[in-house]
Parts: sequence; C-alpha cells; structure tokens
Amino acid sequence: MSYVNLIIKRSISTSSIREGKRNFKKFSLHNKRGSRIFKQMQAENPDPEMPIDKRGVRDVGYTLNGTFYTVPEMIPELIVPDLKDFKLKPYVSYRAPEIYQEELTAQTLFDVVYAPKIKKDHTENKLSADGNPMEPSVQEKQTSEEAWNKAKMTGSELL
Amino acid sequence: MRLTQLLCSSVGKWSKQFSNLPDRYIERTMNQVYWKNPKGSQYKPNTEVKRKKFRFSVHRPWTAQFRQQNSPGKLYKKVFVEPIKDWSFFRGDRVEVLVGPDKGKQGYVKQIIEERNWVFVEGLNCTLKDMGGDKKYPGIYVKMEQPLLVTTQVSLVDPSDLQATAFEWRFTEEGDKVRVSTRTGRIIPLPASIEETIDYKSKATYKEQPKDTLADDVSEVTFQPALKTFQMDIMESMDIKDERVPLKTYWY
Repeated sequence: MSYVNLIIKRSISTSSIREGKRNFKKFSLHNKRGSRIFKQMQAENPDPEMPIDKRGVRDVGYTLNGTFYTVPEMIPELIVPDLKDFKLKPYVSYRAPEIYQEELTAQTLFDVVYAPKIKKDHTENKLSADGNPMEPSVQEKQTSEEAWNKAKMTGSELL
Repeated sequence: MRLTQLLCSSVGKWSKQFSNLPDRYIERTMNQVYWKNPKGSQYKPNTEVKRKKFRFSVHRPWTAQFRQQNSPGKLYKKVFVEPIKDWSFFRGDRVEVLVGPDKGKQGYVKQIIEERNWVFVEGLNCTLKDMGGDKKYPGIYVKMEQPLLVTTQVSLVDPSDLQATAFEWRFTEEGDKVRVSTRTGRIIPLPASIEETIDYKSKATYKEQPKDTLADDVSEVTFQPALKTFQMDIMESMDIKDERVPLKTYWY
C-alpha cells in the first residue's frame, strides 16, 4: 500500500546540481601545465593569480616582507623503526609456498588462552561437581564485573 | 567478482604462462575503450564501447605490435580455429614437424600461441626475412621460425622409440592425468620446462635476489595470539600504565 504525503513543504533539490554538468572549460594552468611558451613566461613574470600549486603540502616556515623564514619545528620528522636484522623485504621469493591461514576468531583465542587449563583440570579431576575449577587461575577467579572493567580499560575495543 | 568476461580470458593460459605477467596487466594493455558513460546517477545503465574481437598473431597481446595490428578501426576476417579441449603441447616438448621443407625433423617446442593453435619449434620451419634494408644498406637476413598448427602440422614424439605418435590423455592408477602414446602405450611425460617463465626456470630453482623475502621467512609463524587488543599490546611493550576504569554506564 502506498500513501501520499499530504504535508506540503518546500525543499531545495541538491541532486540536480550535484549530478549536473560539471565539464567546465577553464582549467588552472599551474606548475607543469601549459605550453612551453606559457611556462617560460611564467618563470620570468609569474602571474599573481596563478601561484605555485603545492598540492596540499604545507610550507616549512613563513614568508615575511618577501623573504621566507624556515621554522625547524615545522619540518616533519619521520619516525621510522630500526630495520636492522629485519627479515621481511618488499618482494616475496617465488620459492615461498602457498600459505593458507584460517581466520583468527574468538574461538581460536579461547582455545589458546583458556582451553588448556580447562582440559588439564578435567583430566586431573580438579573440577567440582558443577564444573567449576577447584584451583582457579587469575582469570578464572575474576567476577563478571571485574572482567568487564578490565575489558573497558584503555585500549578497549568495546564501544 | 566481475560478471563481464575479462579480455585476457581470450588469451590462452599457456600463451601467458612464459611471460609471468599478471592478468590485470595484460587486460590493461589490451583494453581499448572507445567510449564510456560519464559518472553520475543520471547516466545509468553503465555502458562501455570497447573492442571485443582481436586478431591474435605472432605478437604477444601486451606488445605494441599487437596494439598496432588491433588499432581502432582495423577489422580482420575471422580466423577459424579448431577448439581443442585439452591443450597438450608444452614448452620443451619434443615434437616432429609433419609439413614443409623440415618434414620429418624433430625439435623442441619454444613458444605457444594457444589462440591460433600454434607452436613454434626451435630451429625448424624457418624463413629468412630481409630486414633493415634501405637504398644504401642491403640489410641482413634474419632466420625466424614460423608457427605450426598443433592439430595437423605437428605431432608428439614417443620417448621410447623417438617416432611421431598420436596420443591420448588418460588417467594412471594413482589418478594423475597423463599423455599416453596410442601406438606403444608409453607415457609421454610432461617436459621439465613446463613451468619455466622469463623470470625463473622453475620455482624451486629460483635464485633469491636482495629485495626478496626468503621462503623460510615468509612461512615462519611469529604471531602469538593473546587476549589483548593492539593498543593494549603497544602499551605493554612501551611500559605505559593506565589503571583508569571508565565509569559505569546505564541503559534505560
């Protein structure tokens, strides 16, 4: 069943402009664009309305009265880890075998973290009648509230 | 997963094998889009006017000569190629030429062009091409192999008696598919250079370069699953301690 919205309201159509003709004919001839003669003229007498297009990269200082002052703090410092004795390289040798790794799921994490203790307790009969461990580990002793709080601490992915 | 047929699917598997080029590169070089729909929701459905029929010849599909042969507007008469279900002639296979001045001679397969059912046999069925000549310089003669049709002009050689033979694909008791000579019953083994490419003779004998990660390093498992997030792991390794617990939130 379709209903007609009888509430009359005015709206602005933005789709006509968004999807409309955007093939404008004028393009900015910055940097390396333009003919050889145009670039020669730009080098001698740059057009003030066509500054050098920095492509979003910010200057490492400021200009004052025509001179440029470099600010060392503005120069970006790239912190790269020390790759000494790092075995992984950009390319992979053809000799490398096809590696298939299964997905890391919560089940896998449980199998690694909690399952061994539970198995051990079961084989050594250290589980009580209702299945709780008789010698609980640190994680097993936590109450529900404690575990939740721990999970919500800094670095948590629970949002 | 692309629903439209890829261009490079018209290029045969064994034709591309030796070059070791990724499929997306071959497609990119072969692509000739003449007109494409502009971007915008009012220009749906998406249309692409491009070349679909290519003339396959001696030149590989990603080369400039192929592009020149298949330049926009160039139309060729359809070449009828017998469809072969199982391609059976591989690089390094010993074959006998059945036609031409080299009839009866045996040689090894050098190049495969599956789209035309062609093989090039090393040193056989050659012609001399007068190249590089102009008014002053007489030019030189270059000896080039001519292609041979796999169906009629070439035949596999039985390794037991080194004679031309018809063959069949059959299964062994272990379940491997092999070529068997119908005359003697001997298995014609696949040549060693079947997996040869321009980069390596075989994957096992590839010489590792300085920028290559070694095979052992790639397959080494260094990850140990632990019950902590990436941020918690970083905090532990950098000795950042944060014991703050967020306040309790309530749902109403």
